[in-house]
Amino acid sequence: MQSKPNPGFFKRNPPIAGEAEAIERAKNGDPDAFSVLYALHKRRVYTLCLRMLGNVSEAEDMTQEAFLHLFRKLGSFRGESAFSTWLHRLTVNLVLMHLRKKGLQLVSLEETINPSEEDAPKRDFGSRDPQLTGSVDRVTLERAVASLPPGYRMVFVLHDVEGFEHNEIAAMLECSTGNSKSQLHKARLKLRELLQQPEKLPPLPGLKEAIQ
Amino acid sequence: MNAQNEPNDETNYDTMSVAEFEQWLPELFAVGGGKVSEDPRFARFLAANPDCAALVRDLESIAETAKSLFDPPAGGESGGMEPSDKIWSNIASKLQAGDGSEDEDK
Repeated sequence: MQSKPNPGFFKRNPPIAGEAEAIERAKNGDPDAFSVLYALHKRRVYTLCLRMLGNVSEAEDMTQEAFLHLFRKLGSFRGESAFSTWLHRLTVNLVLMHLRKKGLQLVSLEETINPSEEDAPKRDFGSRDPQLTGSVDRVTLERAVASLPPGYRMVFVLHDVEGFEHNEIAAMLECSTGNSKSQLHKARLKLRELLQQPEKLPPLPGLKEAIQ
Repeated sequence: MNAQNEPNDETNYDTMSVAEFEQWLPELFAVGGGKVSEDPRFARFLAANPDCAALVRDLESIAETAKSLFDPPAGGESGGMEPSDKIWSNIASKLQAGDGSEDEDK
């Protein structure tokens, strides 16, 4: 029996029609139900992998891994959080494990994936700096996010796109919550800088091309 | 004047310096639910410092738009937002072969 979910969990990730039934059927070994879950979540999972890794081939590999892992772990899903939140946390952990295996140490964000001075946002608070004109459109923001240094991109995607809290990000990345807050702020500053000259961002006929 | 490391209960946000604002902003965003511009504690400071107000507005706009990225656009809008068909074929054949569990340490 599923435990009663906390309604707060569903603020960002409301259940998708047909999802609950597919989960229960897939738990009972129905292969068609698992294909339904794949169809419902493949784009979100793939996009999460792509944003974290910045590489189409690796993102596809990790999408495959995530769903195979989901197949093995589905029985342990108790409905205490939204299914997509649970699936995305599982995916993030797999991607981070993959990055650690590749040798990209995430143990200390500060020392390892902290962008170089040259990549860091340039702030000069005493002076007037250019402001964004009008609202930010999602396609341009997607291009700008793809241009972020990996350390900034990781925290920005986890917090501002995926909706994880700083304490969750700190646990995942094995850093302090203060570090997570600071990285997020620098990421937003860097994005502001990038969005001031959108014409210089890589073209985005598809996300694939933009971040390769 | 050096900025304090962190704001505290005694902090007067009306008279904080721009340097303090800069230093505290990551925390102010984190504790204020991301809506610094709507927090009455900072209203006077932001009114007196239009550059800081513009910065806050821009960062909030970026964070707000980022929420919409959670759901990737459908195929046409920016393309390339879903895995190729071979991914499901790979998954299905691994599950059919019963070796889904062998991928743990791949």
